[in-house]
Amino acid sequence: MTFFAEDGKSVVHRMNPWTKAALLAIVILMAIIMDDLILLAVLYLSVLAFYAAGRLPIRLLVGWYTLPVFFVVTIAILLIFTEPGDPLASIEILGKRIAITDAGLMLLVTLLVRALAVVTLSLALFMTTRYSHMAYMVSRILPRPLANIFLLSYRFNFETSDEISDVVDAVHSRNGNMVRGAAKQTRLFAGIFGLSFVHAFERAERIAKAMESRGFSGEFPNVEKLTKPSHYGYLLVSLAILALVIITYSRYVSDLIGWW
Amino acid sequence: MAHVHLEDGAFTIEWVVIWTLIAVALIAIALYRLGGYAIPTRKLAVAAMCVAVGFAIFQIEIPVFGGVHINLTPLIGILVGPSLGSLAVLVINMFGAAIGHGGWGMIGANSIVNIVEVFLGFFIYRHLRCSWNASRFFSAFSATAVALTVSAFVALVIISISGIQGSTQGGEQTFANLLIMAAANIATGLVEAVVTGYIVSFIGKIRSDLLEMAEGEKRPETAETSQEVGTVV
Repeated sequence: MTFFAEDGKSVVHRMNPWTKAALLAIVILMAIIMDDLILLAVLYLSVLAFYAAGRLPIRLLVGWYTLPVFFVVTIAILLIFTEPGDPLASIEILGKRIAITDAGLMLLVTLLVRALAVVTLSLALFMTTRYSHMAYMVSRILPRPLANIFLLSYRFNFETSDEISDVVDAVHSRNGNMVRGAAKQTRLFAGIFGLSFVHAFERAERIAKAMESRGFSGEFPNVEKLTKPSHYGYLLVSLAILALVIITYSRYVSDLIGWW
Repeated sequence: MAHVHLEDGAFTIEWVVIWTLIAVALIAIALYRLGGYAIPTRKLAVAAMCVAVGFAIFQIEIPVFGGVHINLTPLIGILVGPSLGSLAVLVINMFGAAIGHGGWGMIGANSIVNIVEVFLGFFIYRHLRCSWNASRFFSAFSATAVALTVSAFVALVIISISGIQGSTQGGEQTFANLLIMAAANIATGLVEAVVTGYIVSFIGKIRSDLLEMAEGEKRPETAETSQEVGTVV
């Protein structure tokens, strides 16, 4: 993600980060408020086009989709069989017949489209915004202690992930991934995780001392400040807000977009 | 997974707002208990490291029972306490939301579940160690197992009260349907409890000072009980 964010030169990379963050907030609200599958599909395709405009790899996106799809299916799979509607397919389990209904399937698809629309834009934001800009936005949006933890852990993530994957590789290279019983495997990985925590604490203590010795006063200085969005940025966000207002009005007050 | 993470769009906007406000209140209490904006640098760094390790570990699959992912939130509670742990899980959920491991709008609901884990993990471990004089493995195992079982039901209650958007099923029916999910989470939670037990034993053996917050003035564990710790990688 950092590689694409730091090295990309697309139109989305050049867009003001505040504009992208505002669009993400609006898309989250739209995904929550919209209940029409076709409109949600339009939202998803628009977001996908935004992602593609950032010249970001689709293959990587498909890989990232694993998590949200897993979570949505985990919840929805238990509801699609019991949602009232016309049965589409049925199977018999232990003498009891259960059926997937059309309403159940629609529920699963709607939840998936909602989740994927937000995830796609979220990834587009993080993969097209440089760390220095992200740090500035985080320090402006979050309370200072939370912003500090966020910014410190953003950097620590890379080191920690590298360290843990090195240890896991070392274990695998010594046949550590061979089946040796649940207890032994659990103990082996507990050792890896325990060591990671101990190293993390030791590193945190060193970093804290280094920060204090350099006069850390509780706030990270922002080297690179963000400018305000351009006129086009304001226009884009205004149009998105207008669409959100229409969608909200249509859902909660009076249906304005049901004609189609 | 030992946790349920909800994606954006699962709840209606009213419930998103309600759970977010509750989570904000819990985080505000945690910040107040830590001294507001005057959190010591060491605590900030330790919380950030816990976020990084927690986030990294969640990406690793333990090859047990077909593959299990863990988050170690009760362990974070045991190591850094409920207040700092609450801030850490909030930031973990923010990072998670960035890559689709839970939704942005669901950070509130997901954080409530995780804060329950951190809180129960810390206090049950502390009680077992200080009042019952239980071993580190047993204390950590029990604290994690109880914390994850309770949190699985908290998640279930949150989903049942809010209702899944688009579903016509009532709260009771949703609760009954999702009981299987809670059972699966509890089963996975037991694996995490065993892992946490081993990790705490391991940490207690080589850096027992890291457990001082949860153990207070507890004397160091004897060599006999420390034998539960297995292979050191």
